[in-house]
Amino acid sequence: MDLLQRFALGEIDAFETLVDQFQGEIYAWTVRIVRDPGTAEDLTVETLWRIYRARQRFRPDGNFGAWARRIATNLAIDHLRLKPREESLTTEPAGVPQPDRLLQRETADKIRQAFRRLPAKLQVAATLALIEEQPYEEIADALGTSAGAVKLRVFRAVRILRKRLKQAGIGPE
Amino acid sequence: MTEYDDRQIGDALKRSFPPVHTELERDLWPEVLRKLDDRTVRVSFRVPWYDWALVGLSTAMFLAFPRLILVFVYHL
Repeated sequence: MDLLQRFALGEIDAFETLVDQFQGEIYAWTVRIVRDPGTAEDLTVETLWRIYRARQRFRPDGNFGAWARRIATNLAIDHLRLKPREESLTTEPAGVPQPDRLLQRETADKIRQAFRRLPAKLQVAATLALIEEQPYEEIADALGTSAGAVKLRVFRAVRILRKRLKQAGIGPE
Repeated sequence: MTEYDDRQIGDALKRSFPPVHTELERDLWPEVLRKLDDRTVRVSFRVPWYDWALVGLSTAMFLAFPRLILVFVYHL
């Protein structure tokens, strides 16, 4: 019997093989969205648990990787909705910065804060499209929508961000 | 003040969000397995609400009419 069929029937050995094959891919996708390794690991474990729980809904002739990625994306969106918006997700280098470096860092902080205040779905689309430069089709597949809808979300994210940066007095150098 | 254009917004975001390391450093299977076990145990010990309702109702009946206990024991 095929691996995916065995998984759909609830065989734990088949699931272990799938975890071994796909955990890296799920983690890589999740960490691109949430941008924090610890959170991404937790969300990957939760994704894999949900995959196992939903195994009966999986069609063995379907694409396991795409299905897993969609579950991971939904979990990442939920996480972004729930976490405090002002939380900084990136690690800053240690040490005393120079004045111009300080200004750059301050600008980057403000941009990150403005970005983190976007609605979660817009954040995810903009992160994957603009920061990670993932193909629109792939993002659409993970979000369960069309490439056109993803482009629209990115457009809306950019428009809101531009407005907020202008209000904060931040412009191009 | 000049505004960012679309390309500049993308560049500014890339500068503000440094690249993340996308390689998974450890095997997550033990944690997945632990989570599966935890949830299985929790699910198997879950008592449905109507069982609790039945217990509550029976207790109330026995308190109100203690002789019903004899009828109950007789039917066991």
